[in-house]
Amino acid sequence: MNLFKWARTKSPWIIHFNTGGCNGCDIELVAALTPRFDLERFGILLEGSPRHADVLAVTGPVTLQVKDRLVRVYEQMPEPKHVMAIGTCAISGAPFKDCYNVHGGIDTVLPVDAYVPGCPPKPEAIIDGIAKLIQKIKGSKGHGKGK
Amino acid sequence: MSHGSIIKVPFGPQHPALKEPENFLFEVDGEIVVDVKPRLGYNHRGIEKAFELRTYIQNIYLAERICGICSDAHTTCYTQAIEELLNVEAPPRARYIRVIIAELERIHSHALWVGIAAHEIGFDTLFMYVWRDRERVLDLFEMISGNRIHYAMNTIGGVRRDIHAAMVPKIIKGLDFLEERLKYYLRIVQTEQTILKRTVGVGILKPKDAVNLCAVGPTLRASGIKNDVRSDDPYAAYDEIPFNVITHSGCDILSRTLVRCEEMLESIKIIRYASDSMPEGIIRVQVPKKVPQGQVVSRVEAPRGELIHYAKSNGTTKPERYKVRSPTLGNIPALCKMLLGGYVADIPIVLAGIDPCFACMDRMAFVDTKKNKKWVWTMQQLRRKYAKE
Amino acid sequence: MEKENEIVEKLKDFLKENLVNVTIPKKRRILVYIKKDALEEAMEYLVKDLKFKHLSTITGVDLGEEIEVIYHLSYKGSIMLSARLAVSKKNPNIPTITDLIPGAILYEREIHDLLGVKFEGHPDLSPLILPEKWPKGVYPLRKEYQLKHLKEMTSEK
Repeated sequence: MNLFKWARTKSPWIIHFNTGGCNGCDIELVAALTPRFDLERFGILLEGSPRHADVLAVTGPVTLQVKDRLVRVYEQMPEPKHVMAIGTCAISGAPFKDCYNVHGGIDTVLPVDAYVPGCPPKPEAIIDGIAKLIQKIKGSKGHGKGK
Repeated sequence: MSHGSIIKVPFGPQHPALKEPENFLFEVDGEIVVDVKPRLGYNHRGIEKAFELRTYIQNIYLAERICGICSDAHTTCYTQAIEELLNVEAPPRARYIRVIIAELERIHSHALWVGIAAHEIGFDTLFMYVWRDRERVLDLFEMISGNRIHYAMNTIGGVRRDIHAAMVPKIIKGLDFLEERLKYYLRIVQTEQTILKRTVGVGILKPKDAVNLCAVGPTLRASGIKNDVRSDDPYAAYDEIPFNVITHSGCDILSRTLVRCEEMLESIKIIRYASDSMPEGIIRVQVPKKVPQGQVVSRVEAPRGELIHYAKSNGTTKPERYKVRSPTLGNIPALCKMLLGGYVADIPIVLAGIDPCFACMDRMAFVDTKKNKKWVWTMQQLRRKYAKE
Repeated sequence: MEKENEIVEKLKDFLKENLVNVTIPKKRRILVYIKKDALEEAMEYLVKDLKFKHLSTITGVDLGEEIEVIYHLSYKGSIMLSARLAVSKKNPNIPTITDLIPGAILYEREIHDLLGVKFEGHPDLSPLILPEKWPKGVYPLRKEYQLKHLKEMTSEK
């Protein structure tokens, strides 16, 4: 396994972005960092800047106002990069499907590698999602280029 | 206002991940804030219009998701409004259960806030401790309702699940644990120099301003104004349960912190009383699908302050108009006042001080009119710049 | 109900024919319907004389030909009085109350955004919650805009 991939799968650095959701998913993602779940023991760090992140964890149903910024954050991330859609809103926008200022699920804007369903998903589910994403990265041939 | 060189800084969320991107334009003169213009909206979804497209039952689940932290406040306010339009009353037992859930939510929300505020001033240890203990509240929610967030307890006509006798000892045990921890955190807040230095005398909101700018909740009560919807305009079972309205007169961030800490302890007392005196009986009544013509105003005291819904019905199964004003919006004019004349370095903690429905303010634009500079900062960048202070 | 009745009587005396209708649906709730031109004097009386100092919010409702604007004020946080008036949709202008109640500033801006009501004298009616690229003159809460139209109009962005 090449060194780059090994380093990446050992400790993915995640950047989080809320695209206008109710924050339920955000607080469960943050709860995943706190002692009971302790995401950081897996080497997973919540990063500050997109330029250092491997994974973009997105919550929320993508409001029209935030759509461009979401794309810009994604573009600032170095390759290879991956996107996680956390929560039902991020997957399909479902709770807010009939809201005029909502674009829809994240995959209408960005390519998504992992979906974590739930409203909101429990911290364990989020950690499970990250674990599955790591497996996917491990198993991928070459670098995953986003669209 | 002439546009000098515009310096744009790349977007970068902060840790922990609290981003409800919104916008404030700050006009600064060096290190002092001279003007604040709110320009909210990254979180605007169009929910009020969606209310008109769904049936009353479907709308419960929409109301719940207006906010993930105070979802029960919204559903309580909503179901109360529709019950009033239908001229039905939730049964006594349901009203007590609503109080218990609402107070548990207040504890979880205030504890969440204490953690966030601690993080804002760099006190990450306190953040981790408080959020660890807050998990006990979420455990109770999971036991009672099946979910940690969005408990879906309220329905039109009552509540959907009962708090069985077997659950009560577990609730009491959880409360005993929480009470001890919360008293400890209160002592820390009152004595820890790191906290006091950053919060005493910061973010002043004089009582006259608090009233004129129509502030609500702990922000209002920390300026000495004794208003709380639970006692002024009682709903659910609050008129049958004795409790204190907590106020402090410091008018600063420390006062807001103390109000929230003491409110958590008061909530524990309320839940104990309610569990003890909960009447027997049914937990919900059947209601018709069509709601006769009418209009109501419904209010509850959400953790962040007065939450008000206005409902207008037209005899069909869907509302004619549904308006929601959440407490954070009510506090933004007061927030702007607090920031004026203050230091740029204090912006993050003052913003956090009103307990915005989750960092409704991550992105901020700055204009220095004297130097003709314009730039954009995120919360993290602002904190990093002033970390030494 | 004593205080509510007292308030209603005082309002009737003060507003006279400018008071179209008033009801007390239940305790701590008063519903008043006033004529549009009486807004400023009614607000001043309510706030300064009757001490309804807290403005909880302002609601806008599209009634078809008219837009209803409802001011939700409270007395000591306890009695809620909703003062409603109607403006014509073709010419939806009413004076601002921000000089009397500074806390009204964002509520008026929100109604301007979503329903197109113009509050004369308001210091800054720039968009509050709609996105920057939102089409001008499209007020989403007006009944003539259905969801699919709004989605079509904004999907090209």
